[in-house]
Amino acid sequence: MILWILLALLTAIVAAALLYPLSRRPEALAPENAGEIAVYRDQMKELDRDRAGGLISAEEAEYARAEIGRRLLAAAAKSGEGAGDASKPSIVRKLAIGVVTVVPPAIGLCLYIMLGSPGLPDQPLEARLENPGNDMSLLVAKAERHLAQNPNDGAGWDILAPIYFRTARLGDAELAYRNAIRLIGPNGARLSGLGETLVVANDGIVTEDARSAFEEAIRLEPGNVRARFYVGVAQEQAGKAADAKATFEAIAKASPPDAPWMGMINEHIAKNGGTAAAPAAPSTLGGPSADDVAAAQNMSQGDRQEMIRGMVDSLAARLEADPNNIEGWLRLVRSYMVLGDRDKAQAALKTGLGHFPADGNEGRQLAALAQETGLSAEGVANPGGTQ
Amino acid sequence: MIVEIGHFALVLALATAIIVSVLPVIGVYRRDANMMAVATTGSLVMFGLVALSFAALTWAYVVSDFSVKNVWENSHSLMPLLYKYSGVWGNHEGSMMLWLLILVFFSALVAVFGRNIPETLKANVLSVQAWISLAFLLFILFTSNPFVRLDPAPAEGQDLNPILQDFGLAIHPPLLYLGYVGFSVCFSFAVAALMEGRIDAAWARWVRPWTLAAWTFLTAGIAMGSYWAYYELGWGGWWFWDPVENASFMPWLAGTALLHSALVMEKREALKIWTVLLAIMTFSLSLLGTFLVRSGVLTSVHAFATDPSRGIFILCILAIFIGGAFMLFAWRAPTLKAGGLFAPISREGALVLNNLILTVSTATVLTGTLYPLALETLTGEKISVGAPFFNMTFGLLMLPLLIAAPLGPMLAWKRADLLGAMQRLWIFAGLALIVGLTLWYMQNGGPILAIFGLALGCWGMLGAVADLWCRGNFGKLPVMTSLRRLKGLPRSAWGTALAHFGLGVTVVGIVAASAFSTEHVVEMKQGQTVEAGGYSLTFDGFREAVGPNYTEERGHFTVSSGGATVSDVWSSKRLYTARRMPTTEAGILTFGLSQLYVSLGDPMDGGGIVVRIWWKPLILCIWGGCLIMMVGGFVSLSDRRLRVGAPSRKAKSVKPVMEPAE
Repeated sequence: MILWILLALLTAIVAAALLYPLSRRPEALAPENAGEIAVYRDQMKELDRDRAGGLISAEEAEYARAEIGRRLLAAAAKSGEGAGDASKPSIVRKLAIGVVTVVPPAIGLCLYIMLGSPGLPDQPLEARLENPGNDMSLLVAKAERHLAQNPNDGAGWDILAPIYFRTARLGDAELAYRNAIRLIGPNGARLSGLGETLVVANDGIVTEDARSAFEEAIRLEPGNVRARFYVGVAQEQAGKAADAKATFEAIAKASPPDAPWMGMINEHIAKNGGTAAAPAAPSTLGGPSADDVAAAQNMSQGDRQEMIRGMVDSLAARLEADPNNIEGWLRLVRSYMVLGDRDKAQAALKTGLGHFPADGNEGRQLAALAQETGLSAEGVANPGGTQ
Repeated sequence: MIVEIGHFALVLALATAIIVSVLPVIGVYRRDANMMAVATTGSLVMFGLVALSFAALTWAYVVSDFSVKNVWENSHSLMPLLYKYSGVWGNHEGSMMLWLLILVFFSALVAVFGRNIPETLKANVLSVQAWISLAFLLFILFTSNPFVRLDPAPAEGQDLNPILQDFGLAIHPPLLYLGYVGFSVCFSFAVAALMEGRIDAAWARWVRPWTLAAWTFLTAGIAMGSYWAYYELGWGGWWFWDPVENASFMPWLAGTALLHSALVMEKREALKIWTVLLAIMTFSLSLLGTFLVRSGVLTSVHAFATDPSRGIFILCILAIFIGGAFMLFAWRAPTLKAGGLFAPISREGALVLNNLILTVSTATVLTGTLYPLALETLTGEKISVGAPFFNMTFGLLMLPLLIAAPLGPMLAWKRADLLGAMQRLWIFAGLALIVGLTLWYMQNGGPILAIFGLALGCWGMLGAVADLWCRGNFGKLPVMTSLRRLKGLPRSAWGTALAHFGLGVTVVGIVAASAFSTEHVVEMKQGQTVEAGGYSLTFDGFREAVGPNYTEERGHFTVSSGGATVSDVWSSKRLYTARRMPTTEAGILTFGLSQLYVSLGDPMDGGGIVVRIWWKPLILCIWGGCLIMMVGGFVSLSDRRLRVGAPSRKAKSVKPVMEPAE
């Protein structure tokens, strides 16, 4: 409300300022030639000064004086047409007053309602940080500021790292994991997290760096399923199907049959020539196969992008058939962002949000991702955005 | 709320621009003083509104309000405060806001300081200014609105392009735009004069301060941009004939021509039509430059074709204003009366020569800038027209200009008799020098061109001194009298001498830096030493450093001369954390007017790193000369003759006589 009052006030001031010259007593015009005459007189004076100072010769001065004199006469002869008939306000003047009264409020209001966002308050960052509420991205920003001041707070890095990973900020995630490991020491979760970050950053390929992180994680925490899974994927990508099968079977044996990762494990067992321990639900998240990886290594950058794009598209197709998979949607949005395809990421986010209630856990996860990646969660979590 | 008020103020400015575009013109037609006065008030109101809007945007940057999309895209909460301010115009939307702000600023200046201008002319000028403002307000609001909001707001911005995170961004664009946009006033004066159908010596006097101010700022802006590119880009070059640079250089060339032809018009009422044409051309080139830089057509013709909304809009602005002005010119110019006559050897003659050369060189630069674009559009072939073309054509054109520049101010108006003959002798002396040097070059090869260039620069400097010497009549009168005479010289004479002197200094700098600079590209390991420009640089290795929003590795060098340590210098490789973007910061050490320039290259296997070291003798003369030119501009601007008193309004009630100034 205050905004509208201020806007009205501003409009009134502008209209009043513009009306002022129109509503004054009709004004007489200065003779049109007065300005010109002033200039030529000044030129004459300048000529006298120059002559007195000896800057120009007498002959030159005479020439110039004659010339300026001619101009002066010509200008003076033009006089008479100066004054306008300004005795009483004409109909045109009244019309002008009408225009000045109507145009600023009319155009101002119409255009502003079309373009502006009157409902949005200012949101200076400091104020938002002081009162972040449940906004995940603000909490992250706050933690970042804290860490900028205290870069040796290992626990802080440890909390941030998985959040970075989930929101596709892979570079930051890697740095955070490494800092946490450096400052408060390695453990299974941190090392496998670091490894997974490296894998995702390398388009799903388990690099040497990542593999040694997983192996170290298993050494510290032999039961770490994630690390063991990726070791299996590494073996699979290296073409060692038998080793991979053994690894995946070992995971399956050690896991409860209803563990959420069982579907994926079974799929990998099947892929490496084994039989799944239990009837597996079709996995929603396929990594690249050994063939894919081998192919990718021989590809140009453009072709590789193409292949990744193909994999992402197949994920999108699978989600279309079976949309009730929050991990899949999160991954799809992230993948599009990594590929730099903002529009598709936005579209995927929107479709994903359509399948989960905004106030549910899954919906909130999507909204958080939206905020982190700068996408808009319009129409679901918080209607009425401008973008 | 502040942001929304800013947005609304911009919309209101649009409404005001519509009113100021129309009412004063009707007022002039009906000779209604009150309606004409709307121009003055309206221009001030527009400036107030745009300034309010700009302040709101700046506030959003300073407090990191990421609910504003433009802030989110181009700022970061950890950026130093200075860059939060300068970041406002470090992007497309913000720079258009700055363009507009300066445009309405100039309108407001005309409204306030134009008291001595006849009311009809002033009303028309301000209306034309309002047309331009209207076009740019529409452009900003509908294609480049900086007030678009985001909801929910992101928690952190995407940071400003690291190359722009520099003090240079804080001053280069405002200075450049003050120049660029300042020429809009000359344009408006020209269009207004054509509308009224009459133009005379007084018109030139009224336009001159605006031309001078715009030219001075443009000189400073271009020089600043050149120095910024020199130290920030790390290539050791200071001018690249890059289309963006050319875009600002063309209005400068045309503006320099305008400055000189307006002088002839003011003094002799000659070259009227030509001056009006130049005023239109200069601002047209400013608009063209804005189009080239802002439409994205330079990055790639194809990028422009895929998202042409902005480009098309600016193209329409170009077509309407340039086309309209030229049509008006074609229609009205024949009705203008021609002015005074003059002999070829005279001050006017020299100024015509100046205009001729400057216009041709503008056309040359324009061709070199647009030809690759045209070729790419038509055939898809990508070529770049670079330094060799410009050095050959532009350099050659500048030779006669530089030779003639010192002579001009010494010639008398209308016809130069005895003095002229003397100067012709001087020209022959110069010709003799050229012939002699050519012969020497054919016999011996060697740095004749450099010697000739240096001589040319000194000729410019000495010529300016000689001008003052003759005016002071030194040698013929007692020294004290001469000094008094110098003190009594009009400021504009001092301005001319200073600007010509500065031009000479710049030429000396350009020639020396091009001909005598040395470049070393070496791989260095810790402890190694390289010789450059008579100094020894020892690489001491790397040191880590952390900035507010970047981390860097500084390569330290100890500089010694004859065994004694003189100083140390470091060049660094920075990584900006938000964008993960690396930059190289050059290390520059100044010795007098010369500089030692160190820039790190790529690291090599085995711990070494490629280091580029330049010794640039007298390079500071390039920008020092521009500074002197700028000072000359300001001195000339302070000339009291430019402040003719306003004609008294009461005069009319007595009777329409010639009322003197004041």
